[in-house]
Amino acid sequence: MLSSYNYPAFNSLAHVALFDNVTNAKELRSRLISAATMSGPDGELEREAVNFAFVDASLVVSEMHLQTALLFALLADARTSLRTKTVHSEILWALNPTNNISEAIRRFGVSDSTTRLLVVRVCTPPTSTSPENIETALRTGVAGDAVPLSCLSSFTDWSKLTKYYKLPAGVPHERLIQIVESTVGAKSAA
Amino acid sequence: MTTVFKLDDADIISQGAEAKVYHVQLHPSPSPRICIKHRFQKTYRHPTLDAQLSRSRLQAESRVLVRCLRAGVNVPVVRLVDLDGGLLGTEWIDGMSVRRILGGGDEGVLEDDDDDDVAEEDADEHLQKFAVTKDELMRLIGHEIGKLHLADIIHGDLTTSNMMLRTRMADAPAQLVLIDFGLAFNSTLVEDKAVDLYVLERAFASTHPDSEPLYATVLDEYARVLGKAWDPVKRRLDDVRLRGRKRSMVG
Ligand SMILES: Nc1ncnc2c1ncn2[C@@H]1O[C@H](COP(=O)(O)OP(=O)(O)OP(=O)(O)O)[C@@H](O)[C@H]1O
Repeated sequence: MLSSYNYPAFNSLAHVALFDNVTNAKELRSRLISAATMSGPDGELEREAVNFAFVDASLVVSEMHLQTALLFALLADARTSLRTKTVHSEILWALNPTNNISEAIRRFGVSDSTTRLLVVRVCTPPTSTSPENIETALRTGVAGDAVPLSCLSSFTDWSKLTKYYKLPAGVPHERLIQIVESTVGAKSAA
Repeated sequence: MTTVFKLDDADIISQGAEAKVYHVQLHPSPSPRICIKHRFQKTYRHPTLDAQLSRSRLQAESRVLVRCLRAGVNVPVVRLVDLDGGLLGTEWIDGMSVRRILGGGDEGVLEDDDDDDVAEEDADEHLQKFAVTKDELMRLIGHEIGKLHLADIIHGDLTTSNMMLRTRMADAPAQLVLIDFGLAFNSTLVEDKAVDLYVLERAFASTHPDSEPLYATVLDEYARVLGKAWDPVKRRLDDVRLRGRKRSMVG
């Protein structure tokens, strides 16, 4: 289920999973919101259970697109210059071309109607959580079919991306992918 | 400046006066290695001033690359901008510089061990390998610069080292990629476009023998891309040449 990216320069390991036919997006979203304010040991457990970046997979055009946002977040974290609360929300912020945090989360995060979900967990250091624990959390948390990451490019919603990234018309997808990836890559200079 | 990445000397590709270029496995394999350019501090300048200058240059360079892609100009995709570390990460272009294809060798680039036959490089062999004729190559150059100038972007350092021909996949068309936008800027001025062309003309003349007909083909395709906008640039280019000649007679 998990693909894992090792980033030794950041002493981090990122685990990624892709889901299709997700049916509990609405529930996931409300769990994310309530986990933030729950107190006591239950709160700890619940926060750990939803400690992921939940990304709308129809807005991520390629694995490189995701990795570019991930690297941005890792770098910001390493420099203690995160613009958002966590390395996970920073990934959403990196994907959105504007500087508006709530807009980034609304657009690129999980919404009630999300059916295709890309889930990322950053572990710093790499051994902080075992892949088995992460898989278990995802199995119980996400109601949907785990599919290989290679499906990502077939999920793309170009009309939404065109709006968000202000993409030019009449341009082949290959070029649009370059523009989208570059926009994230150059985010810190925007 | 804080260094987060440990850039390995073994990955150095080129070492210029202001920057080192690395070919690095930044994302885990099988993601492709990327190109990282590190602008290092110049010790003889004021340190904070230098840091500011390098930040704003890096910012400008990465923005211009994104603008180029939006305008349909072939340039490397931006992968990472680290203003604090002075790093620009871009897609690695698998291919060869036009300078080297034309038999002019590769300036400043540290050669791999298996490339020690540089001195005897043969332009025809390279052209064959990339399956293009010299004429087609010149048209590709004119075409890319034409698109660049139509988008009102000036490269600022057009040389045959700063353009690469991508290694061709199966039956994909040949693709020329412009690199090194460290001196690039936005301008609508005919003068800036003419000077950009003149810089390349001089670069052709100084590195490639019998460059005149080659460069004429570059301009021919450039003119085709510019359409109506060509005439004023052509007239200004004549002026710039004249000024250049006068200067070289005086100096
Ligand atoms: N994206 C890339 N893909 C592949 N090779 C590259 C790329 N960028 C640069 N290179 C290689 O590194 C060399 C130097 O790069 P670049 O010209 O960007 O650096 P620079 O130090 O600013 O150079 P210069 O001193 O010539 O202005 C190039 O000639 C090329 O061989």
